[in-house]
Amino acid sequence: MTMLTLLLSATLAASPAPLTPELLRERYAGLRSLEADVLQVKAGRFWALPFQSRIRFRYTSGRVVWETLAPVHSVAIIQGDQLTVTGADGKAREMGGLSADPRMTALLRFLRTLMAVDLIGLERYFVLAYGPREVVARPRPTSDLKLFEAIRLHFDDDAELTGLDLETATERTRLTFEHTVRDPPPPAPRR
Amino acid sequence: MKKTLAWVAIAGTLAFFARRSLTLEDDPIRSLVHPDPAAAALFDRYQDKSPFRGKIFVEMGDLAPAERERLDEALRQGGYREEPLFTSPSPEQILALAPLLPADELRRLLGDEALTARASQAREVAGLPGGDGYLQALEADPAGLGPALLSRFAGGSAPGGDGVAPHVYRSPSPLDYGKVEGVHRALLALRPKVHFIGGDFFAYENYRAIQSDILLCSALTLVLNLAVFFLFTGRWALLGLLFLGTVISNAAGLFAIRAFYPQVFAVVVAYASTFVGFNNESLVHLAGIPEDHRRQSLTGIWSAIGTTIIGFFVLLVSRSVLIRQMALASLGGVLSFLFFLYPYRKALGGVRFRRFDCPKITVPPVAVAALCGACAVGIALVGVPRIGTRIAEFSFRSPALAAEVAHFSRRLDAISLEHVVAVRVEGTPEAVLADLDARGITVASHHPLARWRPLAEQEESLRVVRQAYPQAVARVRDLLARSGIRLAPATELPASVAPLGAWEYLDRLREIGPVRWADIVQGQRYLFVGLRPGADVGGIELMPMTPQHHFDLLLTALSRELGWLFLAGFVAMAVYLTFLQRSAARVLYVFAPLFPSALVLAVLLRASGGTLTIIHFVGFSLIIAVAVDYTAVAVSTDHGHPEMTKILLTGLSTLATFGVLVLARHPVMRDLGLTTVIGCVISLLFVLFVKLPRSEEGK
Repeated sequence: MTMLTLLLSATLAASPAPLTPELLRERYAGLRSLEADVLQVKAGRFWALPFQSRIRFRYTSGRVVWETLAPVHSVAIIQGDQLTVTGADGKAREMGGLSADPRMTALLRFLRTLMAVDLIGLERYFVLAYGPREVVARPRPTSDLKLFEAIRLHFDDDAELTGLDLETATERTRLTFEHTVRDPPPPAPRR
Repeated sequence: MKKTLAWVAIAGTLAFFARRSLTLEDDPIRSLVHPDPAAAALFDRYQDKSPFRGKIFVEMGDLAPAERERLDEALRQGGYREEPLFTSPSPEQILALAPLLPADELRRLLGDEALTARASQAREVAGLPGGDGYLQALEADPAGLGPALLSRFAGGSAPGGDGVAPHVYRSPSPLDYGKVEGVHRALLALRPKVHFIGGDFFAYENYRAIQSDILLCSALTLVLNLAVFFLFTGRWALLGLLFLGTVISNAAGLFAIRAFYPQVFAVVVAYASTFVGFNNESLVHLAGIPEDHRRQSLTGIWSAIGTTIIGFFVLLVSRSVLIRQMALASLGGVLSFLFFLYPYRKALGGVRFRRFDCPKITVPPVAVAALCGACAVGIALVGVPRIGTRIAEFSFRSPALAAEVAHFSRRLDAISLEHVVAVRVEGTPEAVLADLDARGITVASHHPLARWRPLAEQEESLRVVRQAYPQAVARVRDLLARSGIRLAPATELPASVAPLGAWEYLDRLREIGPVRWADIVQGQRYLFVGLRPGADVGGIELMPMTPQHHFDLLLTALSRELGWLFLAGFVAMAVYLTFLQRSAARVLYVFAPLFPSALVLAVLLRASGGTLTIIHFVGFSLIIAVAVDYTAVAVSTDHGHPEMTKILLTGLSTLATFGVLVLARHPVMRDLGLTTVIGCVISLLFVLFVKLPRSEEGK
């Protein structure tokens, strides 16, 4: 009997229950802010070698600050439909027609949605598939964001976001989240 | 009973197939085509490239994030996809247009400082998730000439004009009015923070107005007619015949249109709700014909039916598809109803009507002629209203949409795009533009030709590009390579890059911009220019390209055409009636009510500052079709019984039919109702209280 219980426990531990929309919505509903250290690794046609950068990420309602700490310091701020980029020299970059481009606007809106783990918002653009510790998002046929072929959101056993994989035709980006601080704090672990 | 059941089956089948085969076109404006093939082609091609076709524009003010989210969601649910106002030029297009940038700007763009800044920006944006999209654009245009060109060409030409750039959304196809309604409501709720415009909203509002008009008018017409009819005859069987026959005539009318046109205008279907008015006249006058003056009664009936049919036949000659569809529906309806009644001729013969008498003034024919003459003089004194139909009077728009139209008209006016016209060009476009500017007709600085550069200046720019472009591309590539970004842009300038002539420049601009500025039709070159507000264009041949002005012109031309057709129909009817009645006095009496009707309409229009529109002419055709029947029947039968009862019955029924149109939301239906009611009331009063001496009438 003891052996059977142990085997059962091991099996359950090895295959965690799939995430559910309800669980994630409950966990991320009413998120006011989220801060994290992010390790970003990009690889693809435009990168000679996998490109690694360290980012300090801050999300507050409607605003995303993407501060690249290394290899070169820069700050990108997404607020509303506007992107502002400040370079290492502290000067704001002239974005020209880029910020008026609807493709860019759609991308910025999507990034705000993604970083807030706003599943209802994500479902506007993507079909979501819930699996064990991950949600896979694939663009809807009518999506403005066909740039992305697939997005994987990784979660730990407590449904806490640990990473993101973004795939486009020419690039794969992996974001690993560390030291995540959020307001309100996450509910107690489900176990 | 058997034949009635057979007709019920036929009516059901016809109604079913009519319903199934019916493809409705909601916007009556689409029926209008310019009679000059060159002008029609120019307009169609201009509209193909029109910034407004298949798109909606939304100007967003200071929206709260939640409001913006709601609006985005509504647009997404509606199937609207945002797209750029200007198409990003391809690398080839960018390089082909490069000579249009001033040499100094090119030196700056291709200089080391700009290239270094561009590479830095690329590194920073590429570091964002999804940043490879930016790198793709950079690879296609490493020197950033595209944004510089767009900025140069779009400057002052974007519909925002004052810097408030509108968001452009591609409409879903086919249009789903349920979804458009959601977007429409969301936009209305956000006014005045947002402004919006687009053909979808006009089509949707017209659709809604027509739908409610069809429902309201059909229901009211039916109820009122049944009440009037039953009051005078007390026979439910006749009501049944009227109802069943009207279903058949409606279906037959629609089939008559479908035989010639794949789509039926919804406004024609709404108009078909008035068939019960024609039908009750045929039914009533063919019922209970007294044997003692059968010949006179039949003369009156065929005078009435004949003038009606002639009136509709004449309308078939109209150039307007909408008018032709109305005529086809009417002819199909009238003829099928007569066909329907034929098997019931014996039953109709046995119908009796309650007697109705009222005091009458007997006047000699000369008095009737004097009345007509006085009315004609009155019209001359008041002044014949100007003939003109504006698109605003031809389609429904809510006050909110009208305000949005006014808002965007002001915006477009500010950048000379509100009233664009095509000008035939024999020499160079720049010479024509300069001439039009000198005459105060256009503002040359608003035209994209103002951004064209003489060939010598383009040569200088080209020298800079040829010299600096390959090194600039290599420099950007190398700067990015240091950050591990690998781009493979084309470094060589194609040999085909050369200075652009003015026509070629305008053609190339069409490829990337939202507006067509030049065209060739039937071997003739045309330049499109925006008219200065209030410009005096006398003596210059200009073809309006902006829908509102284009359609105003067409509708006004059609109004004149209908005026002539009305007169032609009038003459044909007079000839027909002279042949049938064999008395000039009786023919004069038949047409007499038209004169005071015309005077009342003229007075109303002059007092209100309105114009004589296409709808008034159609209304007058209907007055002849229905109201002149009263005088035709009365004068043929010496105002005897039962004809006067029948006339009162049909008169009230016609008023019930056309009177309810005054309640319609759609201006076409409302104006049609008002005009017809004026004619019907005058005609009814005239026939009830004025008669010719017994010796002149047909008994």
